Amino acid sequence: MEEVTVNVIDLTQGDESFVKELKELGAEELKECIQCGKCASTCPMALSGLEFFIKRIIHAANLGLRDILLEDSSVWGCQSCNRCVEVCPMDVVPYEVIQAVRRAAMKVESCPANTYEGLRNLYRFGHAVFPKGFEERRKKAGLPEKPPTALSNEELLKKYREVLKQTVLEEIAPFPLD
Amino acid sequence: MKKIGFFLGCNIPFNRPDVEYSARYMLNELGVEVVELEGATCCPAYGTMPSLDIVGWAAASAWNLAIAEEKGVDTITGCGSCYGSINEAKYYMEKHPEIKQKVNEILGKVGKKYEGKATHWNFINYLHDEIGLDALKSKIKYPLNGLVVALQTGCHNLWPSRAFHHNEENVFFPKKLKEIVEAAGGSAPHYSTLTDCCGMGALRSNAPEKSLALFKKKLDVIKEELNPDVCVTGCSSCLLQFDAGQALLAEQKKINYTIPALHIVQLLAIAMGADVEKATAMASIPLNGVITKIKGGN
Repeated sequence: MEEVTVNVIDLTQGDESFVKELKELGAEELKECIQCGKCASTCPMALSGLEFFIKRIIHAANLGLRDILLEDSSVWGCQSCNRCVEVCPMDVVPYEVIQAVRRAAMKVESCPANTYEGLRNLYRFGHAVFPKGFEERRKKAGLPEKPPTALSNEELLKKYREVLKQTVLEEIAPFPLD
Repeated sequence: MKKIGFFLGCNIPFNRPDVEYSARYMLNELGVEVVELEGATCCPAYGTMPSLDIVGWAAASAWNLAIAEEKGVDTITGCGSCYGSINEAKYYMEKHPEIKQKVNEILGKVGKKYEGKATHWNFINYLHDEIGLDALKSKIKYPLNGLVVALQTGCHNLWPSRAFHHNEENVFFPKKLKEIVEAAGGSAPHYSTLTDCCGMGALRSNAPEKSLALFKKKLDVIKEELNPDVCVTGCSSCLLQFDAGQALLAEQKKINYTIPALHIVQLLAIAMGADVEKATAMASIPLNGVITKIKGGN
């Protein structure tokens, strides 16, 4: 992940339609944020030193700063730990703001390459995490080479792909769904 | 006889199959029949469908739950992400019937249906609340002999509490994993960064140095405050960070010590007499001292 320096926020860059888009993508309570910083006090993104962490992301989201949010990759470093959801005194559900920004970014293909790799693996094998050499590792643990998941059942794997094809993945996936 | 559908996920069957072996062994010893969920997939991981759309997320999770419902079983997972992602999807479908309806329209096209009957468990809650500490204790063949354990419950096993059917009395002061380890004869003292994040997950994938630095902060505290025999996690992603991630920190000379690490199901399987080679097959940090202590050495 590249280091991004966040400078002074430029209010003239605000776009209210982006706020609306984020709300529709799941950040329903976005406007309730009072910037108290309680989320940031417990956020692994903030504690690990990502400059654009939860409180600041919500600030930028509320101002409709589309370009800043979509160009910065910090949201993809969110651990989905949900500490912020647990502690937020205004029930903003801050994690849903992160997810909404990710969803907006996916639409314009502004996400790290490993995101596509996970989606491609999910579609092809039924498993987003699909590391090479697992057969040998499973043998060492005394297990059959393949787990009894969709990976071992072509018919069900095809049905699972049919499920995914009926979701927004069909519109967004930067690889063929066949 | 109790039955449970074993939801494997990805990291356990592909990266840490020793955890899968251990879970199967432990459940068998506890008299719980392991039911295979044929056709099950990824939970889906947070960086995939959940980052696209809520209905897509819920549909992918409901596919997995529908398989369990067909077999009439609850599900269990050793992976925090699998626990969190599926329970959050369940929560959204319960809170918003229109999401559940859309999901069933999608599943209906491949002959599947999601009702919401199956409870999706993690091992901590299942062992503590469903099996019970006394029953667990009665199956221990090799008590832990006061083994000093540093606990790591895992973020997704605790938060967001609104999505979880079972949880801790205080979600920022978890006690169940401690009580499980103590029931097996171990000692699990409190330490000041108990509920801190290990750094595995999206942070590790997207900002590896920051992730490992965050982990090192936690690990240094564990070393200084407890100097434990072993770290024990309730989540397979935490295990990857505590074991392989820690080995990487040692290789990079960023730490001058190592502490072995196990998933709770590995620790209990070993204490119940599992094949140690298989139960620890993928460990990066040697566990010899831990095994000796459990099997009755000093």
